[in-house]
Amino acid sequence: MNLFTLASRNVYRHRHRSIVTTLAMAFACTMMIVFAALMDGFTIGSERNVVSMNTGDIQIHQPDYRDDPDIYSLIEQAGAIVEQHQQLGFYATVRLFAYGLMASDESSSGVQLRGIELETEPTVTDIDQHVMTGQWLSGDDPHGVVIGKKLSKLLDVSLGDELIFVGQTADGYMANDRFEIRGILKSVSAAIDNGGVFMSNTMLRELITLPKGAHEIVLMRHDRTTDLAAVTAQVKSRVGEQLEVMNWQQLMPIINRFIETAHLQTLIMMIFTYIAVGSVVLNAMLMSVFERIHEFGIMKAIGVKPQQLIVLIYIEMFIQTFLAVLLALGAGSVLSWYIQENGLDMSSLADGISFAGLAFDPVWYAALTSNALMMPSVFLFIIAAIAVIYPAIKVAVIQPVEAIHHQ
Amino acid sequence: MFKPLFFCFSLFSLLVFPSVQAVELEVDRVKTLLNAVDDLWRGESSYAVTTMYVKTANYARTMKMEGWSKGKEKTLFRVVKPLREKGTSTLKSDNHVYTYLPKTDRTIKLTSGMMMGSWMGSHLTNDDLVKEARLEEDYTAEISFEGERDGQRIIEFTLVPKLDAAVVWGKLELTILADGHIPVVESYYDEDMVLARTIRFTDIQQLGGRLRPAVLRVVPADKPDEYTEFVYEKLSLNVKLKDGLFSLSSLKKR
Repeated sequence: MNLFTLASRNVYRHRHRSIVTTLAMAFACTMMIVFAALMDGFTIGSERNVVSMNTGDIQIHQPDYRDDPDIYSLIEQAGAIVEQHQQLGFYATVRLFAYGLMASDESSSGVQLRGIELETEPTVTDIDQHVMTGQWLSGDDPHGVVIGKKLSKLLDVSLGDELIFVGQTADGYMANDRFEIRGILKSVSAAIDNGGVFMSNTMLRELITLPKGAHEIVLMRHDRTTDLAAVTAQVKSRVGEQLEVMNWQQLMPIINRFIETAHLQTLIMMIFTYIAVGSVVLNAMLMSVFERIHEFGIMKAIGVKPQQLIVLIYIEMFIQTFLAVLLALGAGSVLSWYIQENGLDMSSLADGISFAGLAFDPVWYAALTSNALMMPSVFLFIIAAIAVIYPAIKVAVIQPVEAIHHQ
Repeated sequence: MFKPLFFCFSLFSLLVFPSVQAVELEVDRVKTLLNAVDDLWRGESSYAVTTMYVKTANYARTMKMEGWSKGKEKTLFRVVKPLREKGTSTLKSDNHVYTYLPKTDRTIKLTSGMMMGSWMGSHLTNDDLVKEARLEEDYTAEISFEGERDGQRIIEFTLVPKLDAAVVWGKLELTILADGHIPVVESYYDEDMVLARTIRFTDIQQLGGRLRPAVLRVVPADKPDEYTEFVYEKLSLNVKLKDGLFSLSSLKKR
């Protein structure tokens, strides 16, 4: 007789127990798929917020600029470096920064003015796609600015409102101008959310009468699968020792470490959940084996080999796990897809979570990656296979005569 | 009847009173001297025309301004030159500082976050403007040196902020001339007692009816090559000024 037919009949014979075991596995696997999708959504979201919204792959500064953002710490040859790297297959842009006071009718707050190049910034980052309300900057708007989300609340302003900037020009005079809010950004980073004011760098250069050069050069690889550390070293050798070249993993070490260890966190979570599932499978299989000792004794007596019995037990397990994985893949992907589209609103728990300078959207989106589907499914097979080792051996070593007399 | 307690008290007062009197005299003298220094530029009310020179590693600039003050709580400055900043005014009324910006026609109240920022690109902070209080009120002063130094008879005070005084400095050292009580140099130490800046008073001349130093030079201790210099061109004390001058509406007048 075909072992597979036999196994499926065995599973069907105790369908209540089989259904409970299968559902327990399916439930755990579904939860793990959703959890993995949430973790992936979190890491993809973090990396996107860090890299594609702000830092890019590689940044170049004057060596002391990041510690002391002095408006005079300019990279004078910025234009040449950008052009050179654009020809070498990078997206590249320059940025200018200045600090001062931004006042609305209601209140005022310290801000960081971020002068960006309108043509090249969208090639490097996706910040222009990240506007919550209003529009991104445009070249024909001499007073338009886009501001961070929390800053808009702090100043109590909305689209179209007027802001007055007071600061200092590079030649020691008072910098003062009027701006109009064109857009308000979604959450990016703590610094941008609380005090970021984006404007074109020609506007900023004029406002603070800054001479030639830029404070920051940002590079982004065309092919993001290449080795970032090696590319960073190449850029470093090209721009020379007098400038500081750093990639985003060096600029944001905590975020990088967090993203690197996110898979490990999923794995640890999965091991704990699956140990519980494994004991359910072990228990169910042991029960079914002890019930059928008499039956197995007869099978052995009529010449069924121990290996065949082991295979039988494994096929029984496999049928149930397979059904559980099918169920879990269905339920898990539907749930994850729903969270991917609609998000989990965590704002009741914490409004605007910020971690290591990175701001998190209070709405948590999942990412239904192949990894999030594969890992929990494959691991379920592995854990189930481990769980039935003992019952299978138990059956294999059974003595026919004793087993037949077993009641 | 012999009253031992009364006797003891009398004896004690005989012993102690002369020295108490001496201490009081000393305290009075310090108070008088410091008030004289404070009154040098302000009086009951004042009007002054000043030119400010600022030199830093990155720029050098000149600015001419007019200023009015009444009492110690009300001050108004208005920039006269250069054209680029003409009409920019700063009003200090009690503990608030307002700046009128002619370019955008706005008046902005400075928030606490801006207090340590530079005032008009100089080496003074906005906080210096607000905390332009009386030395004798905010500090406990004592004479730390009196006699001849560099051929001049001087008095040197060491001023330690009182516990409840809202002062950012750890201590001040003020040197004045023994004759005429004209300040020579004022050193500011930060909370770690490290020298933060010095103000030198030079070019003593007849100004507003008496001898005063016409030039104040502020030098930050960490950048000895930089300075901000105030030169008094005109000073009239105890002029009649209306309270209405120190209002938000008069900030905008040119």
